[in-house]
Amino acid sequence: MAIPPLRYAAWRRLWTDEWSFPVDERLPHPAGTAPDSGDSRGKCCIVFGVTSLLLAAVLAIGEIATGQARATETGPTTIPEMWGAWCARCHAEDGTGQVSEPTITGVPMDFTDCAVTTREPDADWERAIAKGGSGVGLSPEMPGFEDSLTPAQIAGFVPHLRAFCRDTGWPSGNLNFPRPIITEKAFPEDEFLLLPAISHESEPASASATNVGLIAAYERRFGRRAMYEVSIPFYNWDFLTSRDSEIGDIAVALKYVAYASATTPRIVSFGLEATLPTGRLYKGFGKGTVVFEPYIAAGTMLRSWYVQGHGKVELPVDPLVDRAYLYNLYVGRDSSSAPDAWTLGVELNGENKQLWITPQIRKGLTATGALAASLGVSIPVKYQREKVVSWVGYLLWEFLEPLRARK
Amino acid sequence: MLGAQVLGAQAPGAPTGRVTGTITTSAVGLAPMRVTIDPKVCGQQLPDHAIVVDGQGHLANAVVVLTGVKRQAAAEATITNDRCAFVPRVQIVRPNAAVKTTSKDPVLHTTSAQTANGRTLFNVALPIAGLTVTKAVGGTGTVRVSCNTHPWMRAWLVVTDEAAAISGADGRFAIDGVPPGSYDLRIWHESLTSAPQKVTVTAGKATEVSVRMK
Ligand code: HEC
Repeated sequence: MAIPPLRYAAWRRLWTDEWSFPVDERLPHPAGTAPDSGDSRGKCCIVFGVTSLLLAAVLAIGEIATGQARATETGPTTIPEMWGAWCARCHAEDGTGQVSEPTITGVPMDFTDCAVTTREPDADWERAIAKGGSGVGLSPEMPGFEDSLTPAQIAGFVPHLRAFCRDTGWPSGNLNFPRPIITEKAFPEDEFLLLPAISHESEPASASATNVGLIAAYERRFGRRAMYEVSIPFYNWDFLTSRDSEIGDIAVALKYVAYASATTPRIVSFGLEATLPTGRLYKGFGKGTVVFEPYIAAGTMLRSWYVQGHGKVELPVDPLVDRAYLYNLYVGRDSSSAPDAWTLGVELNGENKQLWITPQIRKGLTATGALAASLGVSIPVKYQREKVVSWVGYLLWEFLEPLRARK
Repeated sequence: MLGAQVLGAQAPGAPTGRVTGTITTSAVGLAPMRVTIDPKVCGQQLPDHAIVVDGQGHLANAVVVLTGVKRQAAAEATITNDRCAFVPRVQIVRPNAAVKTTSKDPVLHTTSAQTANGRTLFNVALPIAGLTVTKAVGGTGTVRVSCNTHPWMRAWLVVTDEAAAISGADGRFAIDGVPPGSYDLRIWHESLTSAPQKVTVTAGKATEVSVRMK
């Protein structure tokens, strides 16, 4: 593997016996060795190598003079060598984190455990290596390398870490985009979710009403690419003469990642949801029939923008209940790469001939991002009866992620 | 060096005194540590400098702080990772000082700084010899510096805005330029303790203290 550009002159000292490593033009050159433009690489490297040897000799003399002479080993030059020399002390050569003589109290994640590692996005790992564990809400025992390695070197470790998982077929964590409020995301999750919605109808003025809904959902992955979900809606509705609190139609769903490409990045999933007639029909809490809802969900990134789409058809078993066609499109971006960053986004939510626009803001609530909340407002753009604005949002808990750093 | 230090509220040229003293202990020096990690670089065994004491019981690396005498300590400190030890072991710096950490060893060291309540200020990797990384320490207090790849390595930064000194190999310390008055002298050591002492400083004189640590 080629050596990514190196930032520090100090690196060279360890490489005095390396004659052919690629010289990066951005390197600070020792006095008198600025490369001639258009010079051949071989010549430049020999000049460079000789100067390095001279430099090393001067340094060696200096060290002897101060009584500090020391055997200088050759430093690691490739990513696997760097892993072995530096990272393996804590992460083990084989990535499992099981070392014979631990020098820290925490045990790092097992990089061979695909179920755990594949869900991590590259960006989080790069950030962990650059800033250290405390930069991503993990243990501060993981040191930061941003002062000693270049961003390219730091990024170079990620494929090495990925290779510890031998099993293919797991969708990459790079495809785990932030959840929109209404659009179904394509990536499977292990999450608890609470999705509240509050709307206020003020027309006619005599019949003003505030309605509250809350969906509690549990999502669990299984296999490499699948997920099931159970969700229970609760409603508290204003009926002018009374306020009723009821359970709505309980839904169960399956999702499967049909296509995932980490590098592009692109993901497409299919799902099938079934709602059961657990909600009371006559007051409008339920549909009174089983409804099958096949859907497709997809996501990609355009530059630093997340784009997620979702389309679904509601097929009631009872032929007297109308079919519905739903489609959602989300665009958003993060304020930073930190797990507790803000994400700004907007959704278009369509149902048959109606359309809403839902601007929203999301924030990771803990340093690890295991808790997150989102808040948005759904504004009707095309509507049938009255124009009802709803406040919507969610609180999610990724229950397999640590909430806070292990000290 | 000590005579030229900046004084607190004292008018320039006003007469001052000095506090000198010796720190002793009945504790004995520690046995060398056997090293199994990176012995090629660190050696097979290393002295344990958690207590540095000479034959007469003179204790080095204790820090005395004269409570109430404001003074600007060093704005910068350098910690060198040398043969798997931090050198020097104890330094006094002012709040928000720049701490430079550098390595002479061809192995990965980390410089991890923690406050007394265990909060990590920074933890930087020094993968190769010759690198220097600069980080800031925050407010006053004692900062513990450790290495996550060589757990025995230890250094201490006493971050203070008061007049302070470190005892030398002979247990001696001196604080110059102290306005006359009565003060509490606090004494800190990484593994030993002792109660604060009252000292009274008179202009133009040295007040001699002796401290015994347990
Ligand atoms: C001093 C020990 C130590 C060294 C050296 C070290 N790590 Fe770590 N690393 C850790 C610990 C401990 C964690 C786990 C933190 C946690 O899970 O709370 C960690 C976490 C990580 C993570 C984040 C994994 C996750 O849980 O999401 C990555 C990526 C990583 N290390 C890569 C590296 C690389 C690459 C190197 C070498 C350049 C390296 N580490 C060197 C101790 C170390």
